[in-house]
Amino acid sequence: MLAMGAVTAWGFYAPPAKAFTEPDLARMIFFHLPCAIGSTLFLIYAAYASFRYLGTKNENWDVKGTAAMEIGLVLAALTLLTGMLFARYQWGAWWSWQEIRMTSFLLVFLIVAAYFALRSAFSDSGKRAQISAVYVMAALLPCCLLIFVAPRLPQFQSLHPDVVGKGGFDRIYNSIFLSTFALVFAGCVWMFRLRVRAGMSELSLEALRAKLADRNSSSAPRVVSPVPLSADR
Amino acid sequence: MSSSWSKEILAVLRKEIQSEIRGKSGLLNSLLFSVVTVVTVSLSTFGHAISATFGAGMIWVALLFASAVALPRSFTLEEEQGTGDLLRLIARPHAVFWGKALYNLILILIVALVLGGLFLTLVTIKGDKPVVPWLFAVSLLGAGCALAGAVTLCGALVAQAANRSTLAGTISLPLLLPVLFLGVNGTRAGLGDGVLETGLTATVGLLCYGVASLAIGPYLFAEVWKH
Repeated sequence: MLAMGAVTAWGFYAPPAKAFTEPDLARMIFFHLPCAIGSTLFLIYAAYASFRYLGTKNENWDVKGTAAMEIGLVLAALTLLTGMLFARYQWGAWWSWQEIRMTSFLLVFLIVAAYFALRSAFSDSGKRAQISAVYVMAALLPCCLLIFVAPRLPQFQSLHPDVVGKGGFDRIYNSIFLSTFALVFAGCVWMFRLRVRAGMSELSLEALRAKLADRNSSSAPRVVSPVPLSADR
Repeated sequence: MSSSWSKEILAVLRKEIQSEIRGKSGLLNSLLFSVVTVVTVSLSTFGHAISATFGAGMIWVALLFASAVALPRSFTLEEEQGTGDLLRLIARPHAVFWGKALYNLILILIVALVLGGLFLTLVTIKGDKPVVPWLFAVSLLGAGCALAGAVTLCGALVAQAANRSTLAGTISLPLLLPVLFLGVNGTRAGLGDGVLETGLTATVGLLCYGVASLAIGPYLFAEVWKH
């Protein structure tokens, strides 16, 4: 929090971006870009986790994939919100359907949101994990097209300045952007690890409950057997 | 493809067609939806001419909603009627996917044909350039391929879910919106708006997207189907 506050304050010392309509408000890019890049990275990891789940059927990968999708969804929402604020003050409108990056990211957001709608429809954890993993793999092609291909097609115009790719940032803007990105990413990784730990604990609890239910319903003579205490599966 | 594969695929396709002939609900609902959409657009524009881009957008909205409503039924019906397990026994997952995707492709092509024909007949579309019929037709063919592959898979995903009827649309529409981008670009060029080369590129992209989704679909479907 302190580091984030320090970087935010540092951002105010950066000179205003003269190429923009509202030079002072262009500093929003220091938060907008890290959210967009972070969201993309977490969605890529979610696809990897889903692929590993389909290969191994290990529910740990389902927990990791879901956590990554949750963080990715939040970052995507923040990207859209900061993007809308940026568009309002720089381009004069909250939203422009002609702006391909905004539109394509909104579609990615909808695809990720549908993932959670799908998960909530299954009560069986194994089926839920399987279906979710297949959905993520099915969504990989449209998401890659929307994030990496569509904004670069010549027939679509974009008002987004390509500052990162074409080296449009000067030194101080570069430093602030990289610092903000490092902090946002570190914060999201920390939240991801917390979420994964919570998910693993839920899995262990479910497994213990299932064993207890089996033991209570069994008519065989009770045999005391050791219950593993560690979360290793 | 060996003859046993083709026999299984054709058997599944024949079963779907026979079920549709007996029940008539999937195709009839989609066709009625298409007719109502054309009538709604025509009425709401007071019969005035609409731009080719707007017309292409309307065609695609109608196609998307018709496919999202009708196509996942092929799997949800299997679960509702309890015939899913029988299908798992008699055919391999890839053959089931291809049989159902082919059926969905035929269904969506019929709907697209009726929808496109009605639009061109009943709605006055005003484009900057003349209509390019072959591009219009090919863009609708690409629509069929892209929609059939994606919606068949989505139908399989939601077939065992609690609220499958509403979930099918919720899941499939976001996945199909990128197809909308390509489809509208191709169709509007076919109706005489925009740059022809851009429309051609978009149509080729649509066909490639359809081929890709039909290629990946069976493998993902197999993961869902066998559990």
